[in-house]
Amino acid sequence: MERDQILKKLQEIVGDPNVLWKDVDLAVFEYDAGLDKEIPGFVVFTRTAEEVAQVVKLLHGEGISFVARGSGTNLSGGTIPLNRGVVIELSRINRILEIDLPNERAMIEPGVYNLALQNTLAPLGYYYAPDPASQKVSTLGGNFGENAGGPHCLKYGVTSNHILGAEVVWPNGEKVWLGSKAVDPPGPDLLGLLVGSEGTLGIATKILVRIMRSPERVLTMLAIFKNLEDAGQTVSDIISEGIIPATLEIMDNMMIRAVEESMHAGYPLDAEAVLIIELDGLSDGMEEQAQRILEICRKNGVVSTRRAKDAAERADLWAGRRGAFGAVARLAPSYLVCDGTVPRTKLPAALSAVKKVGQKYNLAVGNVFHAGDGNLHPLILFDDRNKEEMERVHRAGMEILKICADLGGTISGEHGIGTEKLKGMPLVFRDSDLEMMQNLKTAIDPKGVCNPGKVIPRA
Amino acid sequence: MTPDMDFPSSLPGDSGSASPGVWGLQSLGVQVKQVQKPAGEKEAREILAQAFQGRQTVFPCGGGTSLSAGVLPQSVDLALDTTGMGKVVDFDPLNLNLEVSAGMTLDQINEFLAGQEKGFFLPLDPPWSSRATIGGAYAANSSGPMRLRYGTLRDLVLGVRGIDSRGREVAFGGKTVKNVSGYDLTKFLIGSAGSLCLITSVAIRVYPLPDASSLCDLIFGTLEELEKFLAALRSSILVPSAVVVTDLAGGPGVSDTAGIRFRVMIGFEGHRLAVERQNRDLLKLAGEFGGLGDARTGRDMMIEGIRSAVDPGRSWRDPLFLKISVPIVQGPRTFVALRRVIHDHGLLGKTALFAANGVIFLYVEGVPEKTAGDLVKDLRDLVPAGGGYVAPVLAHRSLIERWGARVEPALHQVAFQPIKERLDPTGVFPPIL
Repeated sequence: MERDQILKKLQEIVGDPNVLWKDVDLAVFEYDAGLDKEIPGFVVFTRTAEEVAQVVKLLHGEGISFVARGSGTNLSGGTIPLNRGVVIELSRINRILEIDLPNERAMIEPGVYNLALQNTLAPLGYYYAPDPASQKVSTLGGNFGENAGGPHCLKYGVTSNHILGAEVVWPNGEKVWLGSKAVDPPGPDLLGLLVGSEGTLGIATKILVRIMRSPERVLTMLAIFKNLEDAGQTVSDIISEGIIPATLEIMDNMMIRAVEESMHAGYPLDAEAVLIIELDGLSDGMEEQAQRILEICRKNGVVSTRRAKDAAERADLWAGRRGAFGAVARLAPSYLVCDGTVPRTKLPAALSAVKKVGQKYNLAVGNVFHAGDGNLHPLILFDDRNKEEMERVHRAGMEILKICADLGGTISGEHGIGTEKLKGMPLVFRDSDLEMMQNLKTAIDPKGVCNPGKVIPRA
Repeated sequence: MTPDMDFPSSLPGDSGSASPGVWGLQSLGVQVKQVQKPAGEKEAREILAQAFQGRQTVFPCGGGTSLSAGVLPQSVDLALDTTGMGKVVDFDPLNLNLEVSAGMTLDQINEFLAGQEKGFFLPLDPPWSSRATIGGAYAANSSGPMRLRYGTLRDLVLGVRGIDSRGREVAFGGKTVKNVSGYDLTKFLIGSAGSLCLITSVAIRVYPLPDASSLCDLIFGTLEELEKFLAALRSSILVPSAVVVTDLAGGPGVSDTAGIRFRVMIGFEGHRLAVERQNRDLLKLAGEFGGLGDARTGRDMMIEGIRSAVDPGRSWRDPLFLKISVPIVQGPRTFVALRRVIHDHGLLGKTALFAANGVIFLYVEGVPEKTAGDLVKDLRDLVPAGGGYVAPVLAHRSLIERWGARVEPALHQVAFQPIKERLDPTGVFPPIL
């Protein structure tokens, strides 16, 4: 079928105004929050699961590739349409369909923002645990595709631990249901495979999540350190002591300055590193636990500590943390955020090695990361108009991934492989592992039309 | 069907070559032509490579406690007993992770962890934990009451190693708590029941032993009181580790479901002050709904109390062990309906409801051949289509054959079957569900 005919068919499914086809319109969808860019063939705004299924069926029949997209906050190029594939926009499929408190479940559509769900649940005394820093704008469909994490995943697990079911449009356009309000569907964990598959195995059009009762008390503390490695060691020591706080987040001086200039969250500008520690749960025993943590901080040379006095101060500390990536715009036009993960005890070694990489390539590197999970986020700052600098950035990024792999970690903790980290996959997988992944992809998507060119490197 | 017999007591190998898994496989009606018990991964690779070359069929088995979670073939060329692979591969206490070979039993793992200078534990407590291997638990997606607080294997597993159908080593995940590098096969292979690869080792999250533990033991007189209490418990800020409901009318020899009373065992763990406060609050809450009981502190008491509520015991006479899962609020009524079905069929059984998860374990013995079909139908009718699952864990082949599809046919067609054909083209491993 010719391009004009495809356009006509797409318009028949979703209506004329809901298909973008002019280059000037398409250019808005050529990038996500990663570095790669590719212009799509069309952008199709869908409003129902049925429309998604019909669009996919048409494209599958024509052998045209497609990629589902929510808010485009992906940090690894996962939502970039390769070979002029079609972008299937899901952000208008955005209803919260059901909040079932007695069964502790919520059914939502993929275009619902993570924070919108949280805001709906909070007055009811419940919450949804995964809370990526992008939660204001990232959609739950995107969180599903990327297996998003977030600060509170240290204690409560990542997205896949909280997804119990989904309606999925298969790569051939068929709709299937996985899971239900009841747990443990028989057979291999297909849902576990789809969550985090970066939209390469299907498109979730309804998502059933677990919701949880809000804790009785939350205690947020800020510990200030004279160097980053001490903060990293503190995190390792807290967990080793058997204490699992709700969050353990670190920010270095460069990031503290950027955040303070941007939003005045209350971080001390002279701190080399701050560690945000949050405890939640029953109030009984929490004070004693906090004292044990403070002792560990002191053992690691903490300069000072303080507690959020009230909800407003706590909100400020978190606003700073969540706004850190955005605040970097004050320092440089572009950044590459690495996402390697290491065992927690290797954090000091990893941080030290990352610093050396920055020096080696003459690049500014800031750090803001989920320390409790060992999930580093070095942000390499650069100007994307400087091609030579960009080349150094890519080499530095790959070197950081190798450091993480060599320390017993992995190349992505929560941002996904996308197109950006394809070359890093052999650092953590051998040929037989990748072949098994490719076999799964081929079994589910034999035509290779569902977000091709992501996750698995070409053999 | 099988004659009366007890599960072997000293395992493995108390009856010649019979290991528990192989013994179980045979007793469930699967003809086994040959048994191999590799001592390590290398040997297992060689066995599977030869099987691939020779187009033999292989059935991996561990402790034999969940053999019917997948498909039981009529016969297999080779039963591959994993219990020879039972060692700690790596323990990293500072990062709270442990890698063990597939054949290590859950009790062996917990003995190892408890014996460390700072005690640790693995919160995975399916029945028969003295025989259930970690590889088998992973392959069958086994769990127990403590899943309420700690989740199931999909929440605990960090990485997995295995051998594919051609005899090649594969590995997924790792030892970090977060990992989105590539497809998540560590999760996908959970519940695959040996149909896609042989699991050789599993890396799992472990936890430090809590400061304090307690067991609250309560009795409720009516279903209505029980339901109201459980609803109030779920909406409270209490955080139990396990909530198990059994019934006092359900013991051997009790023939009626009328006048049923419910026993509820609730475990708490954590800081001493938090445990003490929860004990007090729970007893008060129970009293508001007519519940009577007491709270006792001590970890052994909590673990043993909860274990005894779900463990079917040692008997093995035409076993039928099912896992039924429904939405949480439907748990108590499904539990009662299940007891009624068992009673109506004149069977004795043990049932346990994990009340905050909607999971029910049913264990019955001596299902007569002539009424087995009706029983299966009645049990399956308890859960409407799309409303949950009735899944065999242990059942004779002849009973499984009456089961019909255990996975939606559409899902089997678009996903499971194509995946099986790609990953195991010659059919070395047992069929996929």
